[in-house]
Amino acid sequence: MCKICWILIFFFDTVVASAQYPGYSLLTNTSTFKEKFSNASQKTNSIQSDFTQEKNLSMLSEKIVSKGKFWFKKESQVRMEYDQPFKYLMILSNGKVYIKDAQKENTVSATSNKLFKQINNIIIDCMKGSAMNNPDFTSQVFEGPQSYLVELTPVPKSLKDFFQHINITVDKKDYSASAIEMLEPGGDNTIIHFSNKQLNSTLPDALFTIH
Amino acid sequence: MRYLLFISFIVLCSCSSEYRKMRKVSGDIGCIQKFKPVFQGTTYRTTVDVIGKHLSGLVLIKVMPDSSTRVVFTSEIGFKFFDFGFSRDSGFKVYYIIQQMDKQAVTTTLRKDFELIMMYHTPAKGSFILKDVEKYYYGFPQEKGYNFYITDSSCSQLIGMQRSSKRKAVVEAIMLGADKNIPDTIGITHKNFNFTIGLKRIEKK
Repeated sequence: MCKICWILIFFFDTVVASAQYPGYSLLTNTSTFKEKFSNASQKTNSIQSDFTQEKNLSMLSEKIVSKGKFWFKKESQVRMEYDQPFKYLMILSNGKVYIKDAQKENTVSATSNKLFKQINNIIIDCMKGSAMNNPDFTSQVFEGPQSYLVELTPVPKSLKDFFQHINITVDKKDYSASAIEMLEPGGDNTIIHFSNKQLNSTLPDALFTIH
Repeated sequence: MRYLLFISFIVLCSCSSEYRKMRKVSGDIGCIQKFKPVFQGTTYRTTVDVIGKHLSGLVLIKVMPDSSTRVVFTSEIGFKFFDFGFSRDSGFKVYYIIQQMDKQAVTTTLRKDFELIMMYHTPAKGSFILKDVEKYYYGFPQEKGYNFYITDSSCSQLIGMQRSSKRKAVVEAIMLGADKNIPDTIGITHKNFNFTIGLKRIEKK
């Protein structure tokens, strides 16, 4: 009897998980994926790509779309340059965050600001392939025809206040992140899609220099 | 004694109302309704400067099907700072606010600022018109003080807005492009402490 219960629980869990992400099914054995994801990330020293960011405000049925360019360089340097529909530059480097908006430029310590610290860690963990090793998150992996979906669920309350889940879409071709989706507790989400990716191109240090 | 008189004069001058020199006139109090903004999912590039701190992001203002208005402020990278709802029936509601901003003084100040911009408490009982040389001040009593909408003599142009105590303006605001009902630029400046909000409309493509 108990065996039947476990089978039913497993069956319904799988159905719910699949319904959650249409086209994806839960990967019960993630060791092969983890190994390939980690190996690919170890070989990736830099990423250069375009990005499209969608902020979906569910209750307002509104979407704010912005576009720009993205650069990542190991170990932990990130540059995001928004150019549509507004200009905005963010550089994460050596524990500092540099921001230039329409009016001002500002440098803050990534550790002194909780929000920037989280953004810093999430983006870098996604690019380095270390997101699944972060003790602040539990993870599940789902497999689709073209990609994997890594669902990260925050453990500490400080993170739960910001995110319900963070989902990373990993391209099956090269095991690099092709999208990061941040789902908020209220139902809103932000998705960053990466396109025209160039892996391991030479990126000048000046891109990440914070004056 | 001479100094005491001089100081008393200065104190009296600083206490007198800046609206006292204006005179009450009759007119069409409803003429300012044509400047009332209509926000149908309008997004603004936004900067906030408060006591030496600078914040930027996007503000989305939308009138909902139930005729309430939602004001959502997010960072450029998508993190939400606050989500407020303004409704004539159910009042003001905080749907979300980040912990760092979750203080009564902050939400009250922002509520009053956006209510001024949205011309929320107009029309209102006890409203009146003041004339100051070439400008007309359309006054609407609030819980404390007044909201003023300042126009030219023919009420064809909205020159500015003020949130005031009984004596003087505590907040000044401008709204450019109000004649088209969707403002292009909104500026809010607090007079009694260093706090400014600037909004510049982002065109939808």
